[in-house]
Amino acid sequence: MRMSECEITDELIKEKIQDVVVFMCNECGQGSANTAGVARIGYDPSIRIIRVQCTGQIGPIQIMDALNNGADAVACVGCCLGACHFFNGNVLSMHRIKLMKKLFKELGYSDQFVNQYTSRAAEGETAVGDFEDIIERLSTAIKDEGTIKDGC
Amino acid sequence: MDVKIFQFNGCNKCFNETLLLKLDTDNKIQFISEPQNWKGEKTEVAVITGYLLPSDKKNLEKIKTNSERVIAYGNCTTMGGIFALANQHGYEITPLKEFIDNQINVNGCLGEIEELKSLITGDEPSELKTLCEVCARSATCEYLDSVHRQIELDDNETCYNDLGFLCNGFIAKECKERCINYNTPCRGCKPMVKRSGIRMLGMFGTLMGNIEVATEHSEKGATDKLGDEEDDVIRSLPDILGNFFRFTLPTSGLPKGRITSSGTLLENVFTGRLIEELPLISGLLGGSKSISLTLKIIESYEKANQIEISEGTKKYREELLTLETDLKKALENENPKQYKEITNKIRKIAGNMNLSNIFFGGFKSKINENDTFDDYKTHVFDVVEGNYKNGSVEYTVDPNGIIKEITIIEG
Repeated sequence: MRMSECEITDELIKEKIQDVVVFMCNECGQGSANTAGVARIGYDPSIRIIRVQCTGQIGPIQIMDALNNGADAVACVGCCLGACHFFNGNVLSMHRIKLMKKLFKELGYSDQFVNQYTSRAAEGETAVGDFEDIIERLSTAIKDEGTIKDGC
Repeated sequence: MDVKIFQFNGCNKCFNETLLLKLDTDNKIQFISEPQNWKGEKTEVAVITGYLLPSDKKNLEKIKTNSERVIAYGNCTTMGGIFALANQHGYEITPLKEFIDNQINVNGCLGEIEELKSLITGDEPSELKTLCEVCARSATCEYLDSVHRQIELDDNETCYNDLGFLCNGFIAKECKERCINYNTPCRGCKPMVKRSGIRMLGMFGTLMGNIEVATEHSEKGATDKLGDEEDDVIRSLPDILGNFFRFTLPTSGLPKGRITSSGTLLENVFTGRLIEELPLISGLLGGSKSISLTLKIIESYEKANQIEISEGTKKYREELLTLETDLKKALENENPKQYKEITNKIRKIAGNMNLSNIFFGGFKSKINENDTFDDYKTHVFDVVEGNYKNGSVEYTVDPNGIIKEITIIEG
């Protein structure tokens, strides 16, 4: 998958991670981020949270809009499996994001910069752990030169 | 009125269809198949057909400065078309609106000649309904338990999507070619919304709600997350690009494909597609060559896998091949009446100019009222890995039914 010959160092990766759009649902997702804030747990400054009613609202259109407007990675954080506050929005969103991952693979990109997670409103660590995982996956994608914005 | 029709690259299907403009008209119509040699006289209407590459920019600007109105006719010009699937392998097929502005679009593969006629004369084209409104099947939009790749011909009343076949009818306008009438789900060549492929993908992702998606335990968050392993969702749709972005890849907003390319542009269109999609794609590539190409692809597979073909099928296939030779002659003589007559005959057997009715093992719908349909009815076939060759076509199929390599010798 490597497109250019330049060396990708850890500093470069850090520099390249600027905007990570995270759609968090109004219930568990946003709730756990609030709890993390109350407990003063720090997380990566490149995370940009967008509050949505349910991750079921997020589909390929929103993901592509974010990526085309400069996001480095997109992730959804919803309720735990079986605990969607509506009906099954988190699972439906997972289906769509799985298909988006496959689509990026078909186009020759990494599938690590779109992801879906779950969190628990009462535990702030779950949201922060998800954020760390998003950054880690994005770093591997940049290392493999599989992101949309490639090159040095 | 002075009308000039330009053919750029591609299959000539739309260019051939414009021959019908010559019927009952006072307009002065001129066909230009080599725009690079065109001198650049003033003209009132310029119709552009065929797919466009960045190298065509100079010629397109010449057409724009010399004509009062520019009409893009057919999907290849308006959105990239079927050939734009090669963009997956790094090609740069570009829609007309990227080169010039203020053009009028006539979508469709094949674009509708009546719509083009009314646009040339300046009339308002008639309002079109959505395809689902005119479709005889009814939908429930319930979650699917499984996705099917090959059509089974038993149910004529339930929506294709409900049955688990990918139909792009949700985003399409009604059309003349109407694949849905020949047991073929809509290809989506006449979208009524922007970024139709992405919307269709989201819609179908939702419909797949009952199919299990892989999740895994996240170490860091101590909760569940979407898993990376291959699951039923991925296995159900082996070729997302070919199913949802069949005609609209350059305008879909997706990033440029980076898969390494091998072979010609035409071969790259076929690489990565599914075996059951092959005759449908080759059918799109123009009436004067597509019939023999489609039949070659089908026959090589049938022969190698001992799929039996009935006498009825053979008879109709031979008839189609004769019609193809006649069509070539009519095009050489630029005879619109003959062209209309022959294409109508092709439509009778193959369903439409996209050859929707032709498939492995027979035909998908009844051709003649007096026939017994069971004589030449297709049935679901097994996907068999292997290398298939027939004359100028050779292709390799992998165990999932995806085309790995294909060689097409043109001519």
